[in-house]
Amino acid sequence: MPPKISLKKLDRRGGLFEGVKSNIHTLALGVKYLVDPQRSTLLYPKEYIEHRPGYRGFIIFIKDKCISCAACARICPSAAMKMVRVTEIDPKHPDKPRQKQYPVINYQRCIFCGFCVDVCPTEALYHVPFHDIVYENLADMFLSLEMFQVEPQRPATSEGLPVVYEVDEIKGLVKRRKS
Amino acid sequence: MTSGGLEAGGQIPGFIVKKIEKEVYEIFIGPQHPGSGHMRIIVRLDGDIIVEADPDIGYVHRTMEKLSEVREWLKPIPLLERMTIIDACNVTLPYVNALEKLMDKKPSTRASYLRVLLCEINRVASHLYGMGIFGVFIGHSTMYMWAFGDREVFLELAEALTGARLTHTYPIPGGVRRDMPQELPGMARRAVRYMRRRLEEYRKIFVDNPVIVKRLSGVGVISKSRAVELGIVGPNLRASGVKYDVRIAEPYEVYGELDFEIPVFEEGDALARTWVRVEEIKQSLNIIEQAVNWLETHKGEPVIAKEDFDKLPKLHKEVYEREGRVKFVPAHATMKIPAGKAVARGEMGRGEIFYYVESDGGITPYRVRVVTPSARNAIVFKHVVPGHTLMDLPAIYGSIDYFPPESDR
Amino acid sequence: MILDPILYLIAYPPLWQVLILGFLGSLAVAMVAIWFERKAAARVQRRIGPYWASPALGGFLNIIADMVRYVLQQLIIPGTVDRLTFYVAPIAAFIVSILPVIFIPLSSRPEFWPVASMDYSLLIALALSTLPPLLIIAAGWSSNNKFAVIGSMRESYVITAYELVAVVSILSASAATLTFNLVHIVDAQQPFKWLIILNPIAFLAAVLAVLMSTSAFPFEIPESEHEVVAGPYTEYSGALYAFNMGGAYVRRFVYALIIALVFLGGWAPYVPGPGPITGYVIPSIIVVLKALIIVLFISFLRAVYGRYRLDQALGAAWRLAIPLAIVGFGWSLLLAYIGVFH
Ligand code: SF4
Ligand code: SF4
Repeated sequence: MPPKISLKKLDRRGGLFEGVKSNIHTLALGVKYLVDPQRSTLLYPKEYIEHRPGYRGFIIFIKDKCISCAACARICPSAAMKMVRVTEIDPKHPDKPRQKQYPVINYQRCIFCGFCVDVCPTEALYHVPFHDIVYENLADMFLSLEMFQVEPQRPATSEGLPVVYEVDEIKGLVKRRKS
Repeated sequence: MTSGGLEAGGQIPGFIVKKIEKEVYEIFIGPQHPGSGHMRIIVRLDGDIIVEADPDIGYVHRTMEKLSEVREWLKPIPLLERMTIIDACNVTLPYVNALEKLMDKKPSTRASYLRVLLCEINRVASHLYGMGIFGVFIGHSTMYMWAFGDREVFLELAEALTGARLTHTYPIPGGVRRDMPQELPGMARRAVRYMRRRLEEYRKIFVDNPVIVKRLSGVGVISKSRAVELGIVGPNLRASGVKYDVRIAEPYEVYGELDFEIPVFEEGDALARTWVRVEEIKQSLNIIEQAVNWLETHKGEPVIAKEDFDKLPKLHKEVYEREGRVKFVPAHATMKIPAGKAVARGEMGRGEIFYYVESDGGITPYRVRVVTPSARNAIVFKHVVPGHTLMDLPAIYGSIDYFPPESDR
Repeated sequence: MILDPILYLIAYPPLWQVLILGFLGSLAVAMVAIWFERKAAARVQRRIGPYWASPALGGFLNIIADMVRYVLQQLIIPGTVDRLTFYVAPIAAFIVSILPVIFIPLSSRPEFWPVASMDYSLLIALALSTLPPLLIIAAGWSSNNKFAVIGSMRESYVITAYELVAVVSILSASAATLTFNLVHIVDAQQPFKWLIILNPIAFLAAVLAVLMSTSAFPFEIPESEHEVVAGPYTEYSGALYAFNMGGAYVRRFVYALIIALVFLGGWAPYVPGPGPITGYVIPSIIVVLKALIIVLFISFLRAVYGRYRLDQALGAAWRLAIPLAIVGFGWSLLLAYIGVFH
């Protein structure tokens, strides 16, 4: 069935009776929530959300898989990813150092669009499902090649408990502790 | 320039010299004002009546159109969605449609349904955002909190679908970036049922609240002919009795096959504009249900165009099978699009958005022109606000759901 | 003894009333009201509200922390203000807001409330409670800020609307009980002949007047944030702002005390006995609790209502509240004619 236009009219009932009735409805609903609040607040440092897999968070680099194609740096819409040149020594040929290129990321610019992860032909980049990390100064947000390869520690995990949010039919978002 | 020049009617370039009138009280609402948003409204008052309102927009102009010209074809998508971050899929979909027209590519039906699903999730979230801001503008903080809390439900759906709460960057030429996860249909159905119940409560506490009804009815009335003359769009237009919605005037994606209604009211006042949004949320919920049902029963088709999918390397297909994630090929970064011009439009939460994209065959667009709904609704400040009292200004501002970043681009 | 007059001056009961009940009591009530307002609004809005400062107390210490912050905050005085008025108005408004407390008895024992048991206590308390808005207008005017001036103008409009309602509806108690003495008014209502039951119309009008006079929702018009920033208080910061804000809560509390005495039967059904405990502490607690219920109800309204437009509020006052108040007054005359209280 195709969409159609439907003409509606505002329901303009006036009168004292209607006024009193809608006032009572309003107050009653307020009291209902006053007595039985259905909260979904996250008590942040004491709790943190454990996102679903597939959440586009911080990006981690697996150096061994990288073929230095630079596709990730080229597709990055905010020029957050750059290739750096490093000299590597292959254990098999220790006398012949090789020049290789690897990506590094600048989290001052990254918008977590995930283009780099999706374009990498060898799956050398992956998302971790969070991005609540604090840097103490701007320079730290420019990750070095070494830092880019380790999964960062979420600050909330040290004192908080993981929770997940579920959509509930009656209460909307419901917070559940994960054991 | 000497002061003599000014007296003689001379002007400093870029400045407007105005005589100060004695009876008129001029106040500058914004840009640092709790009720202005990223804009300034210069209001001239005679007593409590506004005699002139001058919207001063452009505080969040980010040269999006120009920036798009120096970015490869795919990269404007995450850029453009930052115009209306709360309505990210709707705002980028016409751009992607325009690219598809240039490339002569058709998305798979499954991708179309997924796009519509996300668009409607966005529309609900965007309307809830608008209603929340509207609520707090007229002093109803509970509406604000409720709308923002319930918007979170739909952001949760969007996050499950795309991996990001707001900046989904979901549609790409030829399809979408991810398939629907297993648990989404159940989540969506529960969210739809929840929201239907909540709309009833919104009615009780806000839309039918005697204080609010009193405050809104008869305020900011835009008649049908006036609405057409001003060229306003979206729910504001439909609240004035004009039967126009891009989804029905020029159906894109699969909107032509879905069963839903376009609510139209005739009163044209702030209350009618609020009701249009409430009714549209109901219709969007219907569409979400239909889309989810279709997606669940029609599995198997890839979420990008068939010919593209077949060309993907083995690893890419494996990832798609495993995670439902469509990987790009490196050629995407530097793809060329045949020379030509294309226009596309779509219905955002706030109204019609229009794109004109021109390609000269290179790796970046030659020109991207965007006309956003808020840019067209801004005119309401100038022409509808005068004649109302100062306290009506937030009511009108909130009811047209004006969003400065969207209009400033 | 030479010390006696000095001692009398220090221990002068009205002074105590202002110092202990007036200042500390109103401060405590204002804190509870602010806390409740934030907590209740949070519950209705499905949030938690103040929490982290003291999770066990429901975040109550947060209010104290806020007060400390206000007091220690830098006081920014814009260069263009009318300095004397700018400083004096909020402080004077706060003090004048507390003054009516001297004339509000919390017990019928004259040894504890010599001033309050005078024969015109209701009239004087009412008269004093109408003063602070003038000082608020002065505060706004002295700020030399367009938003503040508009806010002050609104305040002055609203005064014209609620003043009559407040006076007529509260004086309807006098019409029924044939006295201006608050102690006698309360005694007449003993034990359960409360005026809220006998004359709910006047009570409704009185509550409407309180809502308007203390700019509570749905009449939060003078400081309506989205047009006039903070209305008369736009240029205020730090401790002076705290005086302004606290003043509104104190006025609300004072009105609530008057209403508790006049409509909710004061310390009835309790009859104060001799001695400080039975004659002073218990009746005051009863009255303050009754007043607190009204204050908390007013706070709760913030969570469910938006605000009226200025002209609608004035219209509501002139078309609805004033007729209500007059009908309530007539009803009281009828009660007096029948002789319910005598
Ligand atoms: S996620 Fe997007 S912005 Fe961030 S590095 Fe990857 S491509 Fe660049
Ligand atoms: S796209 Fe992947 S393989 Fe290519 S350089 Fe980047 S990380 Fe390495």
